[in-house]
Formats: sequence, structure tokens, C-alpha cells
Amino acid sequence: MTYTDVQFLFIFLPIVVVLYNLFPKKHRAKVLLLASYVFFGIISKKLIVYILLATGIIYGCGLWLSKLQNKRDNILKDAEKEQKKEIKEKYTKKQRRVVVLNALVLLGILIVLKYSAFICTNLNSLFDVLNMSFTIKVPHFMMPIGISFYTLQAISYIVDVYKGKIKADKNIGRLALFLSFFPQIIEGPICRYEETAEKLWEGNRTTYIGLTQGGQRILFGLMKKYIVVDRVNPFILEVFNNYGHHNGGMIAAAMVLYTFQLYMDFSGTMDIAIGVAEMFGVKMPENFKQPFFSKTVSEFWTRWHITLGAFFRDYIYYPISLTKKCKNLTSAGRKKLGNYYGPMLASTIALFSVWLCNGIWHGSDWNYIFFGLYHFTIIFIGRMIEPPVKWINKKLKINSEAFWYKFLQIIRTIILVFIGELFFRANGLKAGLEMFWKMITNFSLKPIINKTILDYGVDKQDFIIMGVVLVVIVIISLLKEKGINVREAIAKRNIVLRWSIYYLLILSIIIFGCYGIGVTPLDPMYANF
Amino acid sequence: MEKLIEILEEINDGVDYETCTTLIDDHHLDSLAIISLVAEIEDEFDVQIPTVEIVPANFNSAKALWNLIVRLQEEG
Repeated sequence: MTYTDVQFLFIFLPIVVVLYNLFPKKHRAKVLLLASYVFFGIISKKLIVYILLATGIIYGCGLWLSKLQNKRDNILKDAEKEQKKEIKEKYTKKQRRVVVLNALVLLGILIVLKYSAFICTNLNSLFDVLNMSFTIKVPHFMMPIGISFYTLQAISYIVDVYKGKIKADKNIGRLALFLSFFPQIIEGPICRYEETAEKLWEGNRTTYIGLTQGGQRILFGLMKKYIVVDRVNPFILEVFNNYGHHNGGMIAAAMVLYTFQLYMDFSGTMDIAIGVAEMFGVKMPENFKQPFFSKTVSEFWTRWHITLGAFFRDYIYYPISLTKKCKNLTSAGRKKLGNYYGPMLASTIALFSVWLCNGIWHGSDWNYIFFGLYHFTIIFIGRMIEPPVKWINKKLKINSEAFWYKFLQIIRTIILVFIGELFFRANGLKAGLEMFWKMITNFSLKPIINKTILDYGVDKQDFIIMGVVLVVIVIISLLKEKGINVREAIAKRNIVLRWSIYYLLILSIIIFGCYGIGVTPLDPMYANF
Repeated sequence: MEKLIEILEEINDGVDYETCTTLIDDHHLDSLAIISLVAEIEDEFDVQIPTVEIVPANFNSAKALWNLIVRLQEEG
């Protein structure tokens, strides 16, 4: 069962909404928790034990940290001024051990389940290269859906308790719901404790606005999924699985369409997740902010999968770049190289770590690691050349604020993103490199001119329908860029216009959606990461 | 406050720091600038900025940043 299934939309969700509201306020959060475990149990069966284990671990570690913090504070009350620093350091060390233990267990489970096959396969290849007659049996573990997402949430909770940003939760039910809330469990968004935990546990009644606006958001997500994602899938499967039979033009088309598909699938799932949460009075963080209007790749990643980028920024980038050693590097660098290039070394160390983790997080294959390091390289080069580019612009009197300049920056960013996504989707790094090479050396627009592009499961009508959806998305994105909240604007219109829009959305899904016999719906793409 | 604005102008001089309240949201200060800014503030004002304080609310305007510095100085 996924969020776009009929069973979820017409059976599971309505039952949960009704039950949630039938129960008194103090029991509603328990209904949500039970529903979340039922949902997780349906999709992951006995693997539910892993999320229960993660909940138990962070609950225990949180209380352990809290106990250490209370003990420290009590000792500090009676301590002399000169002793305070020593006491603080002693307890920081103790707390740090708890955090490391917690991270080792949570990440250890993730590594064993997700990466052990990849690690063993590569070790065997290494033994082979070294002519060692030794092989490790490659293990294959079943991985619970959403483990990459809830593990990050669990780590963020413990780190935030350690840093004193939040207090350890004594209520295991609240913590369990924070980790397992069913709309976010498959693909996120990766929420922070202070963003959702309290609100989820409040158990506020479903409001008319929450129900209707949440419903609109769900419909919007369903439109993306049913009209685009499954429609374009046959073409993408064909080209990526048989790229040897296709020229560079077809590969470029598949690369563009895959990026379009991924955006529609992931942002569509986020629309549904956020819409469902709204029905229970919970506002989840947004995961997309018109990413294709970004002027640099760096900016793109502050607009695409925002909660993952924010996690890496807050728990890897700043903690590394602001360590004592990195701060010393920055101070020394600034004296010699000035304000711009001075912090570059410390920042680059942190940036490399972020993108390596980003690549590895997405999957256990070399193409994902390449995907991460590709972005690191692009962002690093972008940073290095920024001052000379500014200097050239000044000398040539080019206005970098002009529309045409920003437009070219956006196009450049989109092309760089497309290339990254080609490696991301490719069936391994070798395939990715071969596809990229073919795109350069064997590029031709023949498949489009002689219309053979239409022979692989996506015909002219499909392209027109997807084109219309694309136009709608671009218009909505443009309005959002101008600060217009489309949903609020619709809500302010009269009832006839409002319901006309809703019906139009519903009808477009019924008429133009891909479902039924002969259609194999694509599972949520990010669920595999 | 004047010293802080001076530091900010050294890092990125194309912004009106007296009025701008979207330094992070509008990408006037990127992650590289933040590292530089934190190092400079720590040296200049003798404070330690913990990573939990590096949030848009504290860095979106010169005023918010100044409030953070004052608070950290008071906390010792």
C-alpha cells in the first residue's frame, strides 16, 4: 500500500480521519500512532521491529542525556567559578559518548541492512584484483521502508537533545509518533522533533480548512503521480535498460524526462504527505521550493529535497566547518587569502563530507557516490570561479541582475542537474558513463524529427498531456515565486469557481490518469533510498 | 552594531544591512559567508557561536545577529 493506492485513499485514510475525530482529544494521538504502526506493518510486515527498536534506542538515550544534563546542572549550582569549565567539559564528554553510541547503533543497523551487500561485493572484487583466493558471502537483508528517513530523524532528535536545543521526551508514545507518523514514513519529509512532535500529540480536531486544503494538496499530488509519473515510465525504462540500442538524442530525452518524472513523483508524494498531515492539524515542512528556478546548483539543493539538505547542513556541514581545527584554518586562511577564499578550505572539507554522505545515503552503488561527488565538484568549481566571474562581468559591464543573465544561469543549472540525474538513474556507474559518452559523441535529433521517439510506450497524445501538466506546474511555480499562495487564492474565490477547479482536478486525474489493466504503477521512487 | 555591519560589508558589500531582513532567505549570505562571519564575530566579540544557533532566525538580519551576540555575551 502506498499513498496513491485506492486502498490508502478510499479506505485507510478515511477510516483514520473518522476514528481520530470520534475519539476524545486525549486519545487522538494514540489513534494516529496505532494507525501509523498498522500502515507500517502492512508495508513492512515484521520489519516493523526496526522502527520499534530505533524508538526504544532514542527514548533511552534521550533520557540518559537528560539525566547527565540534570546532574551537571546540579553540580554547577554549587561549584566555584574556576571549576565550572572543567565540570562542563567532563559532562560534555560523557554526553558525547552517549550520542556516539546512539549514532553507531542506528547507523550500524542502516549500514548492515542497506550497504553490507555493496561492501561485500566490492571487497570480493578487491580480493580478486589482488589474486587472493578468498571471498565473503554476500548477504542480502530485507530493508524496512523508510529506514533512511526515520534514522535521520532519530539522529537529529538525539543531537538536538545533546545540544540543549530540545528537552528529552519522557513520553515514549509522542516520540514513537514523531518517528513513525504514517504520511511521512515512506519518503519524508525529514522532520525535526520541534517541528511536529508536540503538534502531533496535541490531537486537535480535524477542521474544515484542514480537510479541504489538505484534500486539495492531495489531489495536486495525485495529478502529478497519475498523469505524469506512470505515463512516462515505459519510455524511461526502455532507454535506461537498453541504452546500447539508442543514440545520444534518445538518451538526452530520457534524461530530461526522468528528471521530470522524479520531480513529479517525489514532489507529488510530498504534496500527499503534507496534505494528509494537514487533515490532522499538523503542518509538515516543505520539501520543494520551485527548484527549477535556481540560478546555481548550490541554490538548487536549498530548494530540492529541502529537509535532507537542511539535515546535512545542520548535522554535518556546520559541525565540521566550525570545529576548532577548521576554525583555525578559516582564521589563518582569511589572513592570507581574504574573506572569500579564506574559509574555502574548511568549507570544502565540510562540503566534501556532505556530498559523500548525500551520495551514499541515496543508495548502495557507485553511481550514487559519483552523483554526490559530481555535485561536490560542480559546487566547488562554482565557488572558486565566482570572484573572477564577477570581475569579468564588471569589466565587460554585464549586468548580472538582468533578466537574460538570470535566465541563462537558470538554464545552465537545469542542464547540470539533468546530467546529475542521468547518473542517479543509470543502472550502475558504468552504464551512466557510457550513456553520458553516447550523449556527447552520438547526439542526434533524428528520433524527434522522424518521430521514432514515439515508438517506446509514450505517444504524441501522452507528450501533449504531459506538456499541459508541465505548463500548469510552471504557472503555479511562477505564482509561488512571486509570493502568491495559490491554495489560499483559490480558497478566497466564490464557491462555483472553487469547486470548478476541484472538479477539474478530479476529472483530469480520472480521464488522463494512467491506471487500470496494463499499467504497472511505479512505486514511490524515493522509498527505495 | 556598527562593527558588525562593517564585518558584514566586508563579506558581502552589496546589501543594505540596516534594513535587510532576508539575508539567508534571499541568499545574500551563503554557507561560505556564514563560516567567515562566525569566525570573524567570534574573534571580534569574544563569543562562541554554537552550531544550534546557526539558524535563519539569527542570521536573517544584522539586528537579529546583534541580538544573538549580545545574548551570547551575557551568557558568558
